[in-house]
Amino acid sequence: MINTWAICKREFAAYFLTPIGYVVCGIFALIAGLGFRALLLEYARMSQAPTDYGFTTVPDFGEFFLHPYLVFAGMIVVFLSPLITMRLMAEETHRGTAEQLFTLPLRDREIVFGKYLAALAMLAVMMLVVGVHLAIVAYFVDIEPVALVCGLVGVFLMGAAFLSLGFFVSCLTRTQITAATVTFGLIMALFFAGNMAENLPEAQEIAVEGVGPLQPILIGGYRVIRTLLQQLAADAHLEELTLGVVRPQDVVYHVLFAAFFLFLTFRALESRNWRA
Amino acid sequence: MIEVEGLTKHYGAVAAIEDVTFRMAPGEIVGFLGPNGAGKTTTMRILTGFAPATRGRATVAGYEVHARPLEVKRRVGYLPERVPLYEEMTVAAFLRYVAEVKGVGRGIRRAEVARVMARCGVDEMAGRLIRNLSKGYRQRVGLAQALVANPPVLILDEPTVGLDPRQIIEVRKLIKALAPEHTVLLSTHILPEVAMICERVIIIHQGRIAAEHRVDAAGPSLEDLFLRAVSGDAAA
Repeated sequence: MINTWAICKREFAAYFLTPIGYVVCGIFALIAGLGFRALLLEYARMSQAPTDYGFTTVPDFGEFFLHPYLVFAGMIVVFLSPLITMRLMAEETHRGTAEQLFTLPLRDREIVFGKYLAALAMLAVMMLVVGVHLAIVAYFVDIEPVALVCGLVGVFLMGAAFLSLGFFVSCLTRTQITAATVTFGLIMALFFAGNMAENLPEAQEIAVEGVGPLQPILIGGYRVIRTLLQQLAADAHLEELTLGVVRPQDVVYHVLFAAFFLFLTFRALESRNWRA
Repeated sequence: MIEVEGLTKHYGAVAAIEDVTFRMAPGEIVGFLGPNGAGKTTTMRILTGFAPATRGRATVAGYEVHARPLEVKRRVGYLPERVPLYEEMTVAAFLRYVAEVKGVGRGIRRAEVARVMARCGVDEMAGRLIRNLSKGYRQRVGLAQALVANPPVLILDEPTVGLDPRQIIEVRKLIKALAPEHTVLLSTHILPEVAMICERVIIIHQGRIAAEHRVDAAGPSLEDLFLRAVSGDAAA
């Protein structure tokens, strides 16, 4: 426990002893701020002249401002996450500090959790920016605080999930550039998974000729893959959370996602002990 | 204190070390001597639990390295060949981190860090960023992190590389002074260094132990021993 904390402290400090912490937070604050301003102005225009935009009354604040804003913030978090995670292990490997890290009296879980907590702390710093934005709207608009907190937690969960993915990739690579690039590619793939699934035809529509009794198995397998692709899509699981609706499957998706990649991270670290 | 038996390590088809066997008594300073690529670093990495062996047993301070890595790591101070330093930290902050991870209590951490800094002569650099240190100081900070928490076993991979002559003398004195309390295994390819610091020398060549000798002013010169060992005559 003490060791986890020691690692976490060192890792978190490292973000701000090098430019990367400031760069990531700065870019996030800038883009999130621009998005906040644009979406808020857009909403203001819509609510001043609802009929011009095809509404009969003032559009719902949650649906037409909060939701798009939080999804936007979540996307930036996810696409900046490789910059947070790339150094976690790849930097140690590259500089040779891994040799010290792995010969200090540390358990693998202390290393993994310490580093992951530090990345989460970075994410929390980024969430402060979102928090400020939400505090501003909460001051002017009569909105349930629960919806705000729910949205914030949703974005955090999604970020936490993708940090674990990046952490795992960082364990497999020797340089930070490779780690970031591979992570970025995987994130893109996950986001496109949903699109791909939508474009796939329904299972009944694919008729396979001449396979006889294999037909139901093939169709069944295809259906599983299609559903998996649909459910894998990361953005789909942020939608409802940012509308203030907490569905168990969305929370579970992110938690399982993080748990899965943390588990792989453990295995990746452990592999050094059996690659004899 | 250190027992190595039949240690073998293959990297793919290449054997880095083959059937290495030796023993070290508590308080002994042993020089691990060999040409570059002889397998010194590989052996040390196995002893410190950084890399697993393909075959064989290594026991440090009574614990088998592969079975009880944590117990071994608590008792070993290790200076790798490529000194591991977090460049963005100051010397003192880095050593405080190492002390914390090595389980030095909060109350005595500051004193412990001050002790190793003084011992390795880096106290005047305490507040400097490691990034800005010269090679010699980096080497000494590396030595300092190995000494933190006063582990009974020290494994030092080429501890005097990159130091200037005056620093080399200081570090040699320092290592020699560690002797009765600590068991020290140090690798080097500088022959006089072994003669000056070590009580015993193990010569390793092409992954195998080629010779093992007590360092003795009256006996054959180290140079002869070494040349004979690496030219292959020692096997006869």
